[in-house]
Amino acid sequence: MLFAALWWTGETEQLDLHRDAGYVLLGLVIFRLIWGVVGGSTARFSNFLRGPREISTYVGDLIRRRTDRSVIGHNPLGGWSVAAMLALLAAELALGLFTVNVDGDQPGPLARFISFDQGRAVAQWHDWVFNGLLALIALHLAAIAFHAVIKRDNLVGPMLTGAKRHAGDAAPMSPAPLWRLAAAIVVSAAITLLIVRG
Amino acid sequence: MRTKALLTGAAAALALGAAGAALAADMAGAIQARQAHYKEIGKASKGIYDELNKPTPQAAVIQGYAHQLDTLAPQIPSWFPVGSGPEAGVKTRAKAEIWSQPAAFKSAAEGLAAAAHHFDATAAGGDIGAIRAEYPTLTKACGTCHTQFRAKGG
Repeated sequence: MLFAALWWTGETEQLDLHRDAGYVLLGLVIFRLIWGVVGGSTARFSNFLRGPREISTYVGDLIRRRTDRSVIGHNPLGGWSVAAMLALLAAELALGLFTVNVDGDQPGPLARFISFDQGRAVAQWHDWVFNGLLALIALHLAAIAFHAVIKRDNLVGPMLTGAKRHAGDAAPMSPAPLWRLAAAIVVSAAITLLIVRG
Repeated sequence: MRTKALLTGAAAALALGAAGAALAADMAGAIQARQAHYKEIGKASKGIYDELNKPTPQAAVIQGYAHQLDTLAPQIPSWFPVGSGPEAGVKTRAKAEIWSQPAAFKSAAEGLAAAAHHFDATAAGGDIGAIRAEYPTLTKACGTCHTQFRAKGG
């Protein structure tokens, strides 16, 4: 939703809205980065970023159609897809902070540290990275559709609820305590405010 | 006789072609110059914005930019010679409406020139609060043209 709003407000040059929506997304991404370290088991980077051996095993199983529904959290390929999207999204937000609009009257909050021309170049990058994001998101959604249709595995339900019926001996997702959630929200909000105020 | 006519014709065609090419080059030059001017305006606008967002804005810095805008704004209509629109074949966001609705374009341009002039006077007054209050009026005057006469997209 927020992503669509950012696209629309950027496209139609409603830059004050675009900026506010960007700040909200910035807060969410910072939260996600923190949550990747202190969050519930399936949210942690250490849980879903796997090495090349596990990836090749997973891909091999995939090709040989050995159905494996015991993956809890992101599978070895999906984990890196998440990481790539998150990295590009963070890059997009960082660029947005320095972007200068063509009229020079609605710059990003950190654009005062760079010149008009540099800010315009950043705006160009902000455009390109957005297209890269669209491609990665499309890939991720296509993979989810593949799992739903071919492998008959609903990935979206567990993402929202955290609960998944599973066969095999995989450990279920263990949630993080609520105080950590609260702390992570407070910290990410504080970091966001600091950045936005420059 | 026929050869001569043919030669004359060919020469005339060449001359016309050359004239056309020269005109196209002129228009490309006009568009480039126009874009360079608008970059100056954008720089000045960003300069004012940045200064206003500093802990202690300096009126002198803003005065420099304000004066530049006051100088550039009245020139704007002269940056749009006939033929320097989308038909020039050079990438430009200038819409054909600039030339098909000259009265509306003129009034928008005059609106900006007046706003820039007023802002220049306010800046000269040195009151940061007054400058800050008037800056949105100025950028709104810029926007009048941009919504009507500038195509979407970077």
